[in-house]
Amino acid sequence: MRRPEEEEEEERSSPGWRRIPINDNADLLAEILGRLDGRSLAVAGCVCRLWNALARREAVWEVVCYRHVASAGASAAAGGTRSVVAALGGYRRLYRLCIGPALDRLAGVRRRQGPAAAARHVSLSLALSLFSIDCYERLGGGGGRQQQPPPTSLLFLGKPVDVS
Amino acid sequence: MKREHEDAGRMGGDDPMNMGPEIAKGKMVPVMRTGDEMECGVDELLAALGYKVRASDMADVAQKLAQLEVAMSSDDASHLPQIAADTVHYDPSDLYAWLDSMLSELNAPPCAQLLPPTATASRGNGHSSTAAKPSAAAPPRASALHDFKPVVSAASVGRVVCDTEQQSEKILSPRDPKRMRTCSSSSSSSSAKEVASSLKSATEALPVVVVDTQETGVRLVHALLASAEAVQQENLKAADALLKQISMLAASQSGPMRKVAGYFAEALARRIYRHSPLPQADRVALDLLHSHFYESAPYLKFAHFTANQAILEAFTGFRQVHVIDFGLKQGMQWPALLQALALRPGGPPSFRLTGIGPPQPDNSDALQEVGWKLSMLAESIGIDFHFRGFVASSLADLEPQMLLEPEGKRRDRDGVEEAVAVNSVMELHQLLARPGAMEKVLGTVRALRPRIVTVVEEEANHNGRTFLERFTEALHYYSSMFDSLENGGDSGADGELEEQQRHRAMADAYLGRQICNVVASEGTDRTERHETLGRWRGRMAQAGFEPVHLGSNAFKQASMLLALYAGGDGFRVEEAEGCLTLGWHTRPLIATSAWRVGPAADFAL
Repeated sequence: MRRPEEEEEEERSSPGWRRIPINDNADLLAEILGRLDGRSLAVAGCVCRLWNALARREAVWEVVCYRHVASAGASAAAGGTRSVVAALGGYRRLYRLCIGPALDRLAGVRRRQGPAAAARHVSLSLALSLFSIDCYERLGGGGGRQQQPPPTSLLFLGKPVDVS
Repeated sequence: MKREHEDAGRMGGDDPMNMGPEIAKGKMVPVMRTGDEMECGVDELLAALGYKVRASDMADVAQKLAQLEVAMSSDDASHLPQIAADTVHYDPSDLYAWLDSMLSELNAPPCAQLLPPTATASRGNGHSSTAAKPSAAAPPRASALHDFKPVVSAASVGRVVCDTEQQSEKILSPRDPKRMRTCSSSSSSSSAKEVASSLKSATEALPVVVVDTQETGVRLVHALLASAEAVQQENLKAADALLKQISMLAASQSGPMRKVAGYFAEALARRIYRHSPLPQADRVALDLLHSHFYESAPYLKFAHFTANQAILEAFTGFRQVHVIDFGLKQGMQWPALLQALALRPGGPPSFRLTGIGPPQPDNSDALQEVGWKLSMLAESIGIDFHFRGFVASSLADLEPQMLLEPEGKRRDRDGVEEAVAVNSVMELHQLLARPGAMEKVLGTVRALRPRIVTVVEEEANHNGRTFLERFTEALHYYSSMFDSLENGGDSGADGELEEQQRHRAMADAYLGRQICNVVASEGTDRTERHETLGRWRGRMAQAGFEPVHLGSNAFKQASMLLALYAGGDGFRVEEAEGCLTLGWHTRPLIATSAWRVGPAADFAL
């Protein structure tokens, strides 16, 4: 059994090996974090300030969202979608309120009824529809004249995954 | 039960019934009452139906009925004519004595018969479980009590038969514990309870009453239907007696059946006593109930999503679009459409929404508030949005020129007229309450020359000619509906959130109001005149519309939406000739259809 330092020495001396400190390169780190799933990304946001800032980047969440939804021609409409989603509240919120709970729900169905039963993906259009309804509910009414009840249209999906 | 009712209705008639054939079928036939005053101590429920049985004797009567049932079911045919011949000699208003006499005759082969071949038990079970037959109250009660320990032990009469019966029970139990449970205590557990309380002599500790809710559920349904029939026949006394029975039975149920029974019983009571109909609850409260119903069940979301998909497809290529919503309420349908239009290839159109709503009691302008919220949303996602609200107490008050802009339809820069869509979610059926209103509204819609008309309606026939027809239909429909609310909700890992419970309670109230309207109101008050998809198709075709098939996209989206609901496997999305229905298990409950103006547009308006 070789000691760890000896291992390191060997590795460093072999050609083609380079250490890349990811914390120095925010974009690289963002690229890596974008490959996580929602929960892991939220956990990653608890590591340090840098990671926290990156885990709040919309671009990162955009990648996460697209990875989990099935949408035809996603790349084509991406530009327009981005502005709409931003207006409705952002990708992070979209994931938290719609995509995450929907995935959890489908996983539960899959667990209970076998893999064939559940749909494989959440559809983007459906998720956006639900998101827009939620956003609409959050809009204050008439200058905040009455106490706005909390938006409830997404309650049927269960408690949302908290990734804030 | 039904038969008893017919006979009860003929009470006071003069013909003594021929009981032969009925007895062969194991039915009890009521005969005319001798004297019409009810002795005190007579069981009320039976008295209303023409039997006079002292409450103290109830247990004995029941027990004897059980024995009779057993004996007759195991008899061969040779005995039966003898029974038929003998029974007319006795005065059946004294049920106790009559049964005694019957049994004494049949007792010739006593014990051997009663040591049950499981055939007997199964026959007894067969009787109690085939509730579809309108069998009289007696056989189910009898066979049920056959296995029902407490009453037998409480009212042990010193008869040979009785003892062997108890023995037979014991034999039954180890052999067939399952059957014991399914053959439940009947609803005369209600009378049995009376007996138990009045017979304080039964101080021996009674074993716990095992009530099978399935059996009582069936009896509950029977009682409801019987009560409705009595109401239809204007036999209000019988209906009232049955209502009492219903409320006792309902207490033994749990969950959706109890709620349904409660609402229907309340509605029946209103109808019987001619309470003033439910006050026109202010629209704010109704809207609140409606929005809670929106949360707790997928029906409205399904309706909105499928209608939106149809509208979206009809609007492709148009740069100016106009949606007319016959019932704007909170406007929950439109954010999703706005978002979809914002993301459609080619960019969003200029969007106009005309929302129609009822007059508000406090003069607040709910429509404008909704319009304002929608315009905020539309602005944030980059859609050119215009809104107009119309207050109308009935859709029949609308004229086509009101709905379009003063100068008619807008035109875009190429001179193409705007595309108009008319959307009605559960609004059209209310027009059937007033004659001529439906034709007028459909004429108005046609005059608008819309690209598409989306109609969502409850899939039920609550507009039948007779009250009983409507009642029966409504009972089935709302049972399914309540069942789906109960079991389709989130009962998974997340547990029941308190908020969801609150939504459920409000949703229940929303449905309860509908039930009350269907059952207790008449004439123009009865606005919940649901009709089936077939009839709507006919109506629309007659008015000059032709169907537009809702595409596979709508179907897929609806299925995906349902997949997200926890009880998703209970809900079913089905496609029927281009229309989509959402139902609970095998029963469709809501249907979406789409229409456009047909080619033969030269109808006289």
